[in-house]
Amino acid sequence: MNANLNQPVMVDVAEPKAVSGQVPVWLFLLGFVLLFWGMYYFDQRSGWFKTEVYSPYISVADLQRFQPPTGGVDLGRGRAIYENVCALCHNPDGAGKPNQAPPLAGSEWATGSPARMLRIPLAGLTGPIDVKGQQWNLAMPAMGAQMSDEDLAATLSYIRLSWGNKASEITPEMVKAIRAQVGNRSQPFTGPELLSIPEK
Amino acid sequence: MNYGPLIFLAAFFALASSWFGVVLTPQLNVGQLQQTNTLNGALYPVARPGTAQQGLQVYRANGCAQCHSQQIGQSGTVFDVLLANAGTNRAALSEALQKVKPTLSAADADQLLSRIPVEVARFTRREEADAAVKTLSVGGAKAQFLVCPVGPDITRGWGKRRNVAEDYLFDSPTLLGSVRIGPDLANVGVRQPDINWHLRHLYAPKSEVKGSTMPSYPYLFEKRKAGRQPSSEALALTSELAAEKGWEIVPTPEGKALVAYLVSLRSDAPLFISPISLASAAPAEVGTNASAANASAATNAPASK
Amino acid sequence: MSATESPIPSSSVGSSPGCGALSSGIDSSSRLPLLILFGAGAFWLVVSSLLGLISSIKFHSPNFLAEPAWLTYGRVRPAFADSLLYGFCLQVALAAGLWLAARLGRTVIKPLPIIAGAKLLNIGVVLGVLGILSGDASGFDTLNFPRYAAAFIFGGYFLIGVPAVLMFHRRAVRTLYVSQWFLLAALFWFPWIYSTANLLVVAFPLRGVAQPIIAWWYAANFQFVWMGLVGLAITFYLVPKVTGRELVSQNLALFAFWTLILFGSWTGIPRSAPVPAYLPSISTVATVLTTLVFVSVALVIWKTVDGKIGLLWDSLSLRFVTVGLVCFLTAGLMNIADSVAAFGAITNFTWFTIAQTQLLSYGFFSMTLFGAMYFITPQIVGRELPFPKWAGVHFWMATLGILFGLAPLALGGIVQGRNLLNAEVAFVDVAKSTLMFLRVSTLGDVLILVGHGLLFVNLLVLGLRLVRITCQAFLAEAISEAQPAGVKS
Repeated sequence: MNANLNQPVMVDVAEPKAVSGQVPVWLFLLGFVLLFWGMYYFDQRSGWFKTEVYSPYISVADLQRFQPPTGGVDLGRGRAIYENVCALCHNPDGAGKPNQAPPLAGSEWATGSPARMLRIPLAGLTGPIDVKGQQWNLAMPAMGAQMSDEDLAATLSYIRLSWGNKASEITPEMVKAIRAQVGNRSQPFTGPELLSIPEK
Repeated sequence: MNYGPLIFLAAFFALASSWFGVVLTPQLNVGQLQQTNTLNGALYPVARPGTAQQGLQVYRANGCAQCHSQQIGQSGTVFDVLLANAGTNRAALSEALQKVKPTLSAADADQLLSRIPVEVARFTRREEADAAVKTLSVGGAKAQFLVCPVGPDITRGWGKRRNVAEDYLFDSPTLLGSVRIGPDLANVGVRQPDINWHLRHLYAPKSEVKGSTMPSYPYLFEKRKAGRQPSSEALALTSELAAEKGWEIVPTPEGKALVAYLVSLRSDAPLFISPISLASAAPAEVGTNASAANASAATNAPASK
Repeated sequence: MSATESPIPSSSVGSSPGCGALSSGIDSSSRLPLLILFGAGAFWLVVSSLLGLISSIKFHSPNFLAEPAWLTYGRVRPAFADSLLYGFCLQVALAAGLWLAARLGRTVIKPLPIIAGAKLLNIGVVLGVLGILSGDASGFDTLNFPRYAAAFIFGGYFLIGVPAVLMFHRRAVRTLYVSQWFLLAALFWFPWIYSTANLLVVAFPLRGVAQPIIAWWYAANFQFVWMGLVGLAITFYLVPKVTGRELVSQNLALFAFWTLILFGSWTGIPRSAPVPAYLPSISTVATVLTTLVFVSVALVIWKTVDGKIGLLWDSLSLRFVTVGLVCFLTAGLMNIADSVAAFGAITNFTWFTIAQTQLLSYGFFSMTLFGAMYFITPQIVGRELPFPKWAGVHFWMATLGILFGLAPLALGGIVQGRNLLNAEVAFVDVAKSTLMFLRVSTLGDVLILVGHGLLFVNLLVLGLRLVRITCQAFLAEAISEAQPAGVKS
């Protein structure tokens, strides 16, 4: 079995030759079958070289059907923003966190006058304030000052419609109007100041 | 006839064809991409801040891509119908709800209505979702559908939608990674935005993730004498890992840059080519029927090979 | 002193005295450059498998050698992979290819440019490995050497490749044997893919995701097409030569050649890549079409030995080539299975893909090169290796090493993939489920390292003996010339 291993190296063989035989026909047939499948696969999956088409979408027309609807208040977006921005202090279920933020679920401020509620994220809130019968004395930064009108409207609408809250939506136009009224104010609002603003 | 040159040319073209197809063509379309707009009109992507760009070089130099990938996949997209407002006619809405989801009993439908806003149904085709929204809009009720990408990576919480070429436009080098010995990092800045968590994780991975097989990177940190008060950069470590009294562990500039880069990694912006409604990735909360169980099966791609 | 006047007895008596003398002339002209390339290759083999063992231990014991920056896993692993590819595979492939081309074309190798090229290549690999360990890696698999190292490697390749092409031009036997087709294509293809990839990805990077696209293209063309071309050249030479039969058939082998270069070069883009859909789908189609390559290669070998597989086991070099062939076919099967939607979704991003590329570059290509080394070296030096029994041990170490090293990775990859798809399994548990497989694969890596050590020592001792004999002969000549005229020995 290991014969060649121990034989002296002096033996040399002539260089190998190749017979010229036929390539079996079935190999070509296999090739054609695979090519046919390949063309079908490419037609289905490739998006035909369009740079915009990524799987699982199959064409630009297909992509159009998956575009989210525009216009109106996007509550899904509102929820996403709430969970990314507000929930850190107010808790994802709106229950608030002691020493961090008062609850929003069932809060009279969240379900009450939009004019008062909008001012809080636009300029911040500081000092003692009564929420659901408890006094809270913390400071909230102006979390909504940098948000777009649509985003802030969506987030506040989400708050006003979640966890049992049943209040009206806030529209981007309302945000715009209140934002104009608040102006460049850098001083956060206080509880009594908010109460002095008319409800409507 | 001398076939030599002919054969040489044929072999040359056979090999060169791939250069044309896989090198030149992508360079002409993908390599010329510019910033695009998100569905909200914002410019995308925005270049990373300076420290994050340095962090990318630290990421490259330490071979992080040998274990971590940065590409979220997606197996399909579905439409979640969200009932936002109950309107005035609760009975009619409950009926409409049962029409949209025939498997729902009257009791379950009422229970759903009490949890508004809530996702009520999931469809794979746009027409079905449109029809459901129309059906549910009775008596002033407000319904809309959300576009939700689905897939194993998304269910795992690694991302919200698939990655596309625009996500990497300003990254050089673009290190997509090819193995997942560690979790995917494409969206880690959203998942874990806490810089200190990342610093502690790099210093001692097991302290943040029990059972982690990631090696520690002590050379990204240095031990130095603490001042009268520990500096703001000092890591808050448990007693067995912390330095002895009077000393503190602080990150080197490379460590800080790497963490800045990690925290800047996000790919959840809604784009035309990778649409998403930015609803959270949580599956639909439907009464008793767990329609979300079939999330990954609900694809709209043509039948697999 | 010209190489042909070496005191070492010239090898080979061919079927005719002229053929034998020419063969010996070819063998002796190629002795020095080939030994240098083989020896340096064996050295890098040991270095790379040492680095590979270190990284393999780090899989399951992450705090092993975690302190120094240059030994962190993310640097050791690419250093291991690229030193294997460029330190061993590239050098020894060029050496074996040169010898093959010289023998088949009945031309003599001019040693000087080859030796210079070997020096540049090795400098490049040293710079590359040190560069990676010091943090200069480019970040792309198989392309990790920094640009300065790549420049040296390219220069070294040029100094070896150009004489090789000129040798083809000068060949005495005008008809081409099949292996020469493969070798010629490989000689031209490497500089193209290497320069494109290094220019567009490492030196002057393109924008965004175009970089990984080209990196994937290069990896597939280097590890599948180029290694396939050179490996098959060696296989189609050694199998008929050692078994004493004729290759059946030329047309079938050329069918393999055409399908390899036409379809193989389009593979490489993974299905899940964040690139427009046409790229992964083209790659998938091309991968499925490479079935033709594997079928035709298997058919050629089968028909050449006329179904008597036992013939492939008779000689040591042929055993290496046979194991290499089996690994080639297995790696091909794994690749094609990967492109099937259901299976590919499981194995994506897992150890399975790593096992598949390792099977190609180590299981197939390196084993084939070992077979070539063990065949060529005794011929060019005209004597057996210093420790001939070690070659057999090396064979078993390598084969068992591949079995224990790569099979667990493949299986572990499937387990890992299934867990990854199931979102209920926490990621930490996914990683835990692969640990046992990784521990077994470390065992395989130990065996591989031992085998490489044996080869390296064999070649080292051979080299030292040759140096000693050469010095002795030189001294003897000098002494005899120094003796007074009348006293002749």
